[in-house]
Amino acid sequence: MEDMIQMDRAMSTQQDIKIRANGVQVYYGENHAIKDVSVEIQDKTVTAFIGPSGCGKSTFLRCINRMNDTIDICRVTGDIRIDDEDIYDPRVDPVQLRAKVGMVFQKPNPFPKSIYDNVAYGPKIHGLAASKADLDEIVEKALRRGAIWDEVKDRLHAPGTGLSGGQQQRLCIARAIATEPEVLLMDEPCSALDPIATAQVEELIDELRQNYSVVIVTHSMQQAARVSQRTAFFHLGNLVEYADTDKIFTNPEDPRTESYISGRIG
Amino acid sequence: MIRQVRVAQSGMAGDQMSNAMILLIVLGLGAVGYFLGRRRALAKVGGDPRGLHSLPRYYGANVAMNAVVPALVLLVGWLIIQPIVINSAVSGMIPESAVSEGSSISLLMSDVRRVADGLDAAVSQGVMTEAEALRLDEDAVKEALAGVGVALGADVTAETLAAAQRYREMAGTGNVLKAIVIIGAALIGFAVAFGRTTPDFRARNVVERGVMMVLIAAASIAILTTLGIVLSLIFNTVEFFRLYPASQFFFSLSWNPSFSGRGGGSELGILPLLWGTLYISFIALLVAVPIGLFAAIYLSEYASKSVRSVAKPLLELLAGIPTIVYGLFALLTVGPLLVQVFGDDGALGVDWMQGGTAVMTAGLVMGIMLIPFVSSLSDDIINAVPQAMRDGSLGLGATHSETVRQVILPAALPGIVGAILLAASRAIGETMIVVLGAGAAARLSMNPFDAMTTVTAKIVSQLTGDSDFASPEALVAFALGISLFVITLGLNVIAMMIVRKYREQYE
Repeated sequence: MEDMIQMDRAMSTQQDIKIRANGVQVYYGENHAIKDVSVEIQDKTVTAFIGPSGCGKSTFLRCINRMNDTIDICRVTGDIRIDDEDIYDPRVDPVQLRAKVGMVFQKPNPFPKSIYDNVAYGPKIHGLAASKADLDEIVEKALRRGAIWDEVKDRLHAPGTGLSGGQQQRLCIARAIATEPEVLLMDEPCSALDPIATAQVEELIDELRQNYSVVIVTHSMQQAARVSQRTAFFHLGNLVEYADTDKIFTNPEDPRTESYISGRIG
Repeated sequence: MIRQVRVAQSGMAGDQMSNAMILLIVLGLGAVGYFLGRRRALAKVGGDPRGLHSLPRYYGANVAMNAVVPALVLLVGWLIIQPIVINSAVSGMIPESAVSEGSSISLLMSDVRRVADGLDAAVSQGVMTEAEALRLDEDAVKEALAGVGVALGADVTAETLAAAQRYREMAGTGNVLKAIVIIGAALIGFAVAFGRTTPDFRARNVVERGVMMVLIAAASIAILTTLGIVLSLIFNTVEFFRLYPASQFFFSLSWNPSFSGRGGGSELGILPLLWGTLYISFIALLVAVPIGLFAAIYLSEYASKSVRSVAKPLLELLAGIPTIVYGLFALLTVGPLLVQVFGDDGALGVDWMQGGTAVMTAGLVMGIMLIPFVSSLSDDIINAVPQAMRDGSLGLGATHSETVRQVILPAALPGIVGAILLAASRAIGETMIVVLGAGAAARLSMNPFDAMTTVTAKIVSQLTGDSDFASPEALVAFALGISLFVITLGLNVIAMMIVRKYREQYE
């Protein structure tokens, strides 16, 4: 077990940088929410953002697929590159970007449509399927990767809202990966789930790592320790420390990180 | 003459004064009860409110409540029942033979009441004494009453006069009895509650129950009123169907009432009117639904906060315009404009439209009237769609309009359908725009530029003017009214069911 983790570590450090953020500042009106954050996120790795509530970790996550554009008063400056392409360049279409950078939200939010239509939604609007058979295949593949195919294959046309919370969240993950994203952003994906559903989703996240760069925001330090290889600690809008997960949890450099993981702040 | 009328009114006011006096006395007892109850509660514990179960004001309120509420309920009941009792007693006195040809007992009774009121007025303004009023014979009555401003149509018969005297007598006794009973009830309530004012008495809980009773009463008044309206419609409709065959009413294709006195049979078929109503409503919805819905989508999804804060109230201003003003707009602006386009010498040269009043005129203007109705309801419903839906769709790379079309509208659809049905029931019940904009001809035509008329407009024309309420031509209004009521009730019920189903989805 220890060996495997060591191997993972070794592999992950060798991998390319997928997302490179440099000097990112975010303002909500007058409020300076993210202060000069620079971070490099590796491909095929699970990166966890931890920190107390209101520290800016979700805000930063939403910068990566430009979801903050949908909030009127939000202003982002600085430089975020995915595969060396500046995503805030005026030539970049945020709509196309979001197809490439999938997102899973805190609360499961299936559309009031059938399970099939939920998953087919992204491929349909982006024209990824040439035919009905093609679409069926995409939907099945996404549901299989979302580790929910066996549970729903007999009722693909039942409403997605009728599933249990854990199933809904896995459906949302399947929906996000149906558009073949390169990066998957997860904003506290397990906070509305019970422990069993959480375990299923965590297992799924670990599998997704083989194909995607996964960034997960979490309130649970245990969860960060379980699923991630790299961890970033945010505090009051600053990126305090960013390192391998076991280093953060066993030997943090910054006293604030140590206070947080030992439960003294946050 | 003017002076006499005023005096006659003051005579009637004098009768009401006694009710007002009773009310004042009861309320006064309540006010006194409040202070006495409060003081007694405090006195029992030596001025220290901590020894009481409830705050002192609850003891006061309890006494006031017990004094006022039962007495008021009794007063209302008495005012409803007394005229009924007297009416039935007095009408029993009038022999069958006294009811002349072409008249009815109810007409005679209204004569009796007029004579009785006139005598009351005469006595109260001192034209005659009570004793004189009692001794008056039937020949002198008409003259005497004309002197105090009460004009009587027919000659007063002996039976009528006797009945009127009996009526006065009973009303007088009733009024005295009423004052005694009601003030007595107030006093008893006062005494009971006052006696129960002890430190252990749970005045707070009793007042709480009283508050609940008041709220229940308010709710039941609203419901009972609806019930009363429906019952009055039903009774008159039954009366109508006794005079006119129901099959003719529901299935006849022509509406051609002849007014009684001018002879000839009337044709009173509802179908041409219903056709006009539905046609105009359909055009109104054709205008209101797309415009209202698109406006709602813009306001709730696209508009910035500052635009929304200005545009939404402006749009809702439309809802505050009285419908008669819309009617004028239809008559003076929209109608002539349409004639210029679709009329004989119009821009299109098609000669579809003969005059300014037409289904199209009324439909367009009614559609404009309904825009704020549709948009405001739809706006609320679209706003109720959870933000998580929008985020989920945008996060998948959908554009804003794709999100609206494929996620938000399907999620809001049941609510929007409910809003449209509510708008439809308003369109069906609308009157003024139709009266001014659609014309008065009842006809079954497909041409939207023809003048037609609706159920509501015909109800107005059947009941206004010189109408005899016993003729089928007037009673048909009630049958039309109840038909309309059933249709709009059905639409409202369906709308409510859909809206409720939608609400459950996100709870």
